[in-house]
Amino acid sequence: MSKLRRPSRKTVAGLAAAAVVAGVLARRRRAGGRLRLERGLVAVRLALRGGVRYASNAPRLFAAAGAAREQLRNDLALQTAEDVAATLGAMKGVMMKIGQMASYVDDGLSPSVRRTLSRLQDSVPPMSPELAAGVVEAELGLPPERAFAQWDPVPIAAASIGQVHRAITHDGRAVAVKVQYPGIAETMTADLDNVALLRRMLRIIAPNQDVEALVAELRERIGEELDYRREARSQRRMAAYYDGHPTIHVPKIIDELSARRVVTSELSDGARFHELAGWSQEERDLAAETIYRFVFRSLYEIRAFNGDPHPGNYLFHGGGRVTFLDFGLVKHFTETELQPLVHMVRDLCVANDPEAFRRSMEAAGFLVPGAPLSTDVIIDHMAVFYETVRRPGTLTITEDYASKVVRRFFDLRSPVAAYASIPRSYVILQRINLGMFALLGQLTATANWRAIAEEIWPFVLGPPSTPMGRAEAAWLANRPTALMLAWIETGQPADA
Amino acid sequence: MTAESYADAVDLVARSAAAYVAGVPADPADEGLFGPASVTWRVNTDPGAPIAGLTALMVQALHPLAMAGVDQHSAWRQDPVGRLAATSQYVTTISFGERAVAERAASVVRRIHEHVRGVDSVTGQPYAASDPALLLWVHAALIDSAITACRLFGTPLSPGDADRYTAEMVVAAELVGVPAGMVPASYGALQQYMTSVRPELRCTPAARESMSYLLEPPGLGPDIAEIWQDVRDGAVAALPGWARELYGYQAPELTPARQTEIRQALGVLDAVFLGEPGVLEARQRITLRMRSAARS
Repeated sequence: MSKLRRPSRKTVAGLAAAAVVAGVLARRRRAGGRLRLERGLVAVRLALRGGVRYASNAPRLFAAAGAAREQLRNDLALQTAEDVAATLGAMKGVMMKIGQMASYVDDGLSPSVRRTLSRLQDSVPPMSPELAAGVVEAELGLPPERAFAQWDPVPIAAASIGQVHRAITHDGRAVAVKVQYPGIAETMTADLDNVALLRRMLRIIAPNQDVEALVAELRERIGEELDYRREARSQRRMAAYYDGHPTIHVPKIIDELSARRVVTSELSDGARFHELAGWSQEERDLAAETIYRFVFRSLYEIRAFNGDPHPGNYLFHGGGRVTFLDFGLVKHFTETELQPLVHMVRDLCVANDPEAFRRSMEAAGFLVPGAPLSTDVIIDHMAVFYETVRRPGTLTITEDYASKVVRRFFDLRSPVAAYASIPRSYVILQRINLGMFALLGQLTATANWRAIAEEIWPFVLGPPSTPMGRAEAAWLANRPTALMLAWIETGQPADA
Repeated sequence: MTAESYADAVDLVARSAAAYVAGVPADPADEGLFGPASVTWRVNTDPGAPIAGLTALMVQALHPLAMAGVDQHSAWRQDPVGRLAATSQYVTTISFGERAVAERAASVVRRIHEHVRGVDSVTGQPYAASDPALLLWVHAALIDSAITACRLFGTPLSPGDADRYTAEMVVAAELVGVPAGMVPASYGALQQYMTSVRPELRCTPAARESMSYLLEPPGLGPDIAEIWQDVRDGAVAALPGWARELYGYQAPELTPARQTEIRQALGVLDAVFLGEPGVLEARQRITLRMRSAARS
């Protein structure tokens, strides 16, 4: 794909035009009220540069149609499982997921690939109300208007392999119901079996990446995403762990209304990421602190990592309170997988022992043992990733810093590059690392990140360093440990 | 692979896409020759359509006089991509365009055909592109290939729909100058006709040369070239057995797994095609009109 075309002036102009269109749409959205317009648009996400900046786009046909847009969307809706197969089968759904993944892991897709992937997103209309209702009935045993007290047949958002409806349960709770496209699991599973073709596509889309690792990662992640029960389990675990947390909110799963292709959770409302641009810096800093705490607390306490740091997956409520959505890409690490990461940060930032850091990197498989490089060169290469926590003091994360992290990650010219690699189980880490820094950079967030990290680092467990930290400490003091929760949920100790 | 050969392949996708977009009207005055409820529209939007086109070209090339006309008069060697794009634009315009636009396109083709005449160097026979017999061959090869491609790589037509499609397309043959009475109007009649022409067919050097180009277009990037192999295998598999024999191609083994792979490769190509300006909008226009026709 990319190799067919060299980037031309024309493509660049086209992208600029797309950015203008996106800008216009964003303004209209603010003027017209969020909900109404979100109904009117399939949420199309386009990562513009290596996961650093995002823009939304919409099919020009819809944009041009004005008032008739709603009607057009209905007229183009997927009406049958055959429509789903025609739109998302034959590798197209898989390509969309590759696009999503590549936007996090690669330092900039070629313009032609980006255009292809974004048009592919545009090409998916929502399911018709009847088609979505059919899936709900097949999964829950009742048509949606009986399974729920109230059911809104118009979806409020698109998910990558489904769409989200609002509903009210019989006991009066407002919920979000994610409904999977019928037949998508079968067609995507068949597509994922064609490893040779996956390899070819990935070579084109992400030429800087370890293709075999990406193929494996893609198959595993999509395989997991196709079964919503897994997502429900992850979210249930997160919601249980963060229950009562002062600023972190994870919507609860409604178990009896969730199944393989339908997942029901509490409905949350709040400001979207792009709206934060208009908030005070103090509010933005607080939101950033919550995201930061969420990422590292989840990692160190429940060894879970949400691999989808997309800005659309957060809702903001002010005072640093954030709702976290979409747990379809959660990676659970084993204790053994997590240990090397813990050692690395301890060696470099706390013990200040470069040689030990190098040995930990080698042990984790990030660095070839005995590489002909001085430890100084390695530290120099790696330090950027630890810049926010290496020294005490407050620090502002800028977009420049976020891009620097991305560039360093993919810097194939660095002397270290030839000896560095990312073991498969850690591939997902880069996504959240780059994604989280991109978000915090857009917020130009300032905090004493080191002090916050010390609160969470299991080898420090420092005292609360901020008001939020104090509130969190109070919450921690009054809750069962994560281990116990896992025990209760699974009936087994976490590492049994 | 040189930079110039990349430029060739750039054109292949971009120019076919431009041709397609140009053939699908935005705000048509009428429903065109077939209309959105026709089997013709359904066949032209089938995922197997690209293979139908390739297979049709391979079958058509087996008639020495049809091949000689292309070989001696068209500039396909200088601009193969342009030649393909022109052909696909014509098919799109006839299928989806307004009646008047379709008729105008056909009259241009008829005028060009007036100048295409000569003597075939292989058989020594004189030929004229306006000869209804040759035009009928080209027409029949397309219908037959499309029906097979749908069956193998898209949604198979029911026997009734195969008949309807053949009957609908009679008008396309008439447009380029074949008297309606000569044109098969059912799938059975089409098969009889194809059998009756068989003694005239042979694989001339010109046919072999142009088809090797088609099957292995120079200048495709290595990765796309691999995907093209799947598409090519599909086109060869969709050939009638006798046509494969004339070319000396091995019959590709078409297991269900292999069929799936070829469908997947078609999907990837289609995604690339969708990335071209205007293609998605043109598709949506067609879908909207077909749905609206299905409702009424």
